[in-house]
Amino acid sequence: MADKFHDEILNLKCDVVNMARFGRTMLNDSMIALQLQDLEMARGVKGRKVTLQEQHDSLEDRIFTMIALYQPVARDLRTLVCSLMIVQSSERIGRYGKDIANATRHLADTDTTGNFISIPHMSELVVGMIDDATLAYEQENLNTIEDMSKRDDVVDSLRTSIFRECLTYMMEDPRTITRCTHYVMISRFLERSGDHACKMAEKIHYMVTGERTEIK
Amino acid sequence: MTECKEIIQVDHVNLWYGDSLALRDVTIGMPDRQVTALIGPSGCGKSTLIRCLNRMNDLVDTCRIQGTVNFHSKNIYASDVDPVDIRRKIGMVFQRPNPFPKSIYENVSYGPRVHGIKERKQLDAIVEKSLKRAALWDEVKDRLHDSAMGLSGGQQQRLCIARTLAVEPEVILMDEPCSALDPIATAKIENLIEELKTEYCVVIVTHNMQQASRVSDYTGFMYMGELAEFGTTRQIFEAPRETLTENYITGRFG
Repeated sequence: MADKFHDEILNLKCDVVNMARFGRTMLNDSMIALQLQDLEMARGVKGRKVTLQEQHDSLEDRIFTMIALYQPVARDLRTLVCSLMIVQSSERIGRYGKDIANATRHLADTDTTGNFISIPHMSELVVGMIDDATLAYEQENLNTIEDMSKRDDVVDSLRTSIFRECLTYMMEDPRTITRCTHYVMISRFLERSGDHACKMAEKIHYMVTGERTEIK
Repeated sequence: MTECKEIIQVDHVNLWYGDSLALRDVTIGMPDRQVTALIGPSGCGKSTLIRCLNRMNDLVDTCRIQGTVNFHSKNIYASDVDPVDIRRKIGMVFQRPNPFPKSIYENVSYGPRVHGIKERKQLDAIVEKSLKRAALWDEVKDRLHDSAMGLSGGQQQRLCIARTLAVEPEVILMDEPCSALDPIATAKIENLIEELKTEYCVVIVTHNMQQASRVSDYTGFMYMGELAEFGTTRQIFEAPRETLTENYITGRFG
């Protein structure tokens, strides 16, 4: 019985990793679509929302079932709790991707394109944080998430500077208001996704060591 | 969890049955008014350890013990200690309910009578108080003079607990008290343990890890005669320090 349970945990972890990458790719693709002003690609991202939700629901259901049937303890329990948390965070991250894809449509109507301030840089950092958290979970190795807190500080300061910059543009020229408001929103979505990566890292740290830690 | 005074201290105890070493350098403390659970695979020494605590192993001819078991800072293996007195202060409940083939009343009053209480009124009061503490009173108060053998297994086990309580012990040792009971009777005993710990130090040996995690405040994991890990129950079941403990409680053994 025990071996069956541990096989199930391994399978679950694979599927959680796949879902984390699915959510992460929605976010990443939405940023590519934004920069290329590719509405077709943005629509594609939005279409993946249903699959994302299905993955979330089915994984959540599996984790509850495993807890109910096996009453896991120690590392097994910590792994399941961490997995549940990652499933939830990945769903949020994917949905932020969908929100950014929505904004792409509105931004395509404005005449000024190409100026994305530091949003692409911010997105690179955030996607990197999600990738590293997912890798740490997959390999149960904390190396890749050691400096998560510092990386999140950079993301936070980028968000503040994007906000200030947008404010300046909007005051100079009201025609930029639509575009800049969307930029502010997008930077907010990215910052939230970075926070989710930090939360994931916290739970992975707990899964691996049994000790709670606070990142940031 | 606040640090509690340890009422029993087991200090560097080795125990042999003939030539075979059953306990190897065990040091453990049992805090007062807390439940301490001992878990571990069959033959790990957990029953042997619990039996050391009230000198039940004296009854085994080949048994030899080294080290000290202090109860209120006095070694219970000292030559001037009366084992009968120790077993009154440190009561025990066994795996299978073992009531005497007598009435419910006589089962509970037997101990106090042996210890010299003769007056009927006083015995009546002790029987009522003990049965109430063992959460059995309401079920048996109208048939105190019926045979104890007519009770269900769970009721018999609570009667055995009442019998232990009747002689005013300070510590209650339980050696797998629920393994012969159904889940409902088990739940009743577990609730009872929760109440008993407000007045007594409780030590329980159990094969059922969920039971250990439900009822105890501290857990000791034993393996091959050694105490492999001891800690708060929460720590043992959430993040054990020893790989051996981890492997055992998550079922990765062998």
